[in-house]
Amino acid sequence: MAYNLKEAVKRPERLTGGHRMCAGCGAPVVVRTILRAIKPEDHAVIGSATGCLEVSTCLYPYTAWKDSFIHSAFENAGATISGAEAAYNVMKKKGKIKGDIKFIAFGGDGGTYDIGLQSLSGAMERGHDMVYVCYDNGAYMNTGIQRSSATPTFADTTTSPAGSVIPGKTQLKKDLTLIMANHNIPYVAQSAPIGNFKDLHEKAEKAIYTPGAAFLNVMAPCPRGWRYDTPMLMQICKLAVDTCIWPLFEVENGKYKVNYKPKNKLPVEEFLKVQGRFRHMFKKGNEWMIEKFQKDIDEKWEMLLKLEG
Amino acid sequence: MDKVLMKGNEAIAEAAIRAGCRHFFGYPITPQTEISAYMARRMPKIGGTFLQAESEVAAINMVYGAAGAGVRAMTSSSSPGISLKSEGISYIAGADLPCVIVNIVRAGPGLGGIQPAQSDYFQAVKGGGHGDYRMIVVAPSSIQEIVDSTFLAFDLADKYRMPVMLMGDGMLGQMMEPVAFPDTTGVKLPEKEWATTGTKKMRKPNIINSLYIQPDELEALIKNRWKKYIEIEQNEVRFEAEGTEDAEIILVAYGATARIVKAAIKKARENGIKAGLIRPITLWPFPSDVISAAAKKVKAILCVEMSMGQMVEDVRLSAAGACPVHFYGRTGGVVPIPADVYDEIRRYV
Repeated sequence: MAYNLKEAVKRPERLTGGHRMCAGCGAPVVVRTILRAIKPEDHAVIGSATGCLEVSTCLYPYTAWKDSFIHSAFENAGATISGAEAAYNVMKKKGKIKGDIKFIAFGGDGGTYDIGLQSLSGAMERGHDMVYVCYDNGAYMNTGIQRSSATPTFADTTTSPAGSVIPGKTQLKKDLTLIMANHNIPYVAQSAPIGNFKDLHEKAEKAIYTPGAAFLNVMAPCPRGWRYDTPMLMQICKLAVDTCIWPLFEVENGKYKVNYKPKNKLPVEEFLKVQGRFRHMFKKGNEWMIEKFQKDIDEKWEMLLKLEG
Repeated sequence: MDKVLMKGNEAIAEAAIRAGCRHFFGYPITPQTEISAYMARRMPKIGGTFLQAESEVAAINMVYGAAGAGVRAMTSSSSPGISLKSEGISYIAGADLPCVIVNIVRAGPGLGGIQPAQSDYFQAVKGGGHGDYRMIVVAPSSIQEIVDSTFLAFDLADKYRMPVMLMGDGMLGQMMEPVAFPDTTGVKLPEKEWATTGTKKMRKPNIINSLYIQPDELEALIKNRWKKYIEIEQNEVRFEAEGTEDAEIILVAYGATARIVKAAIKKARENGIKAGLIRPITLWPFPSDVISAAAKKVKAILCVEMSMGQMVEDVRLSAAGACPVHFYGRTGGVVPIPADVYDEIRRYV
């Protein structure tokens, strides 16, 4: 059935309102869109790494999750969900459990790109029938905005402070989606909550219903860390995609497909200028930063187009 | 010397820099992240290294590398992060390397909470990592003492070539007090002849290692290290004693809890109860002798901790049955209040 937002939102919410995520935060929008892709009759086991999402949606004894929910530590959502899926397989084989259960892990970029990479890599390589979703807000936001390997170059964070000596983060953002694609798993995709959420919904559906391991990397802006006004969430996601800073693409059984190629590729300034974390890039004498940022993004975009072939 | 108002975590970072630490390896975790943020701001300006690792495991092993090169290196974390660092701490102890590890303790086990606790006492003094090793543990009780202890921690680490832990808690890390920093201009750091800094073909290579396949060799090495530990137990015990001369009851508490206990003791004294305090400043080496001597003179000892009772085991070992040792603890991030401690005092005298 063709995707239709009005139909999709009729499905019962699996992440309910009343959680404590900030206004203008991308993460709950991402999670709700992904969970809408689960058939209402299917059950899900959700694992979450430590992070904003976990502490704000499941403060014991309160929970916003309708599905079973596991939280263990910061570095091991991949392993925890692997264990749950392995147990389910045995129970199913022995006839102790009925129905279809889907296994989904959520982690932020700190818990995925950095400390959780080992556990994620293991889970994907073993091929558990699960989806790992990274909601990428480009820093450790839960502890108060520290840089991660997903933080973009030049972004100002409390541990990459832009000042007279350093220009914000000096390293490039790690390309986790390509790292996961090179695990040769059935499905890997990069998405963002834009427009009517069609891209994210369809990718989530594919990831959840493709047997084997799948990975989704989804941009989830953070108003506190990125320093934008909360109503700008959707606009920022769109700008990330239109500047090719966050391309929408998928890798299905090794085949790359770029899902959106902007007719009019916007300059990176359009994305950078609406966020306080990049404010210093627009100071006189720092033009080189914008030039370098643009060059890096152009190179990555060209590389992606080549991968698509 | 001018005083400045500083947060505990930031005071640790500034004191470390003034103690000559130019290599800091951090990883975010509440309630100590300000240490990293402060280092990130300051280190680039003074030609030092601030590096945010990809995990606590990585950060402690970066300290291992830096310490091996003979520089003053530090890492900081809070309880769950210290559990991850414990493997590295054991290796550093096994390789006889000096470094400072800060633990701003929060309530556990597991993810626990983010409020202050003292439930990592066992982990710190009994060895959170594997193997026969000890770690000097310094537990300050005020922000000024945090500053002084940071200097002490680096000095002791270098003197004995071993890891030293600076143990605070979420309260000390987050509270602000006026502090003064000692003038360190012109202070020379100790030479480290054992460091792996390159031989320049002028000397035999230095080797840093913790792997010894031959049991005899390893046993000899550990026994030798133990001689150092005995020397530390003889020379490096630090504690504060207050009102112990005429006391009928002695309270034993460390860190932030000792501040609360002091208020309870004041109230007790006002009400005619002769209460005194022994506050261990070094948790290892533990002030066993002073507690042992006090136990022979008092009706009872009351140990107060923000845990279910960890240090109390060492207090009991020290008292060795000379008087009853009672315990009062709050845990899970709950901080005891003076009135409750006072009620406990009244129960036993």
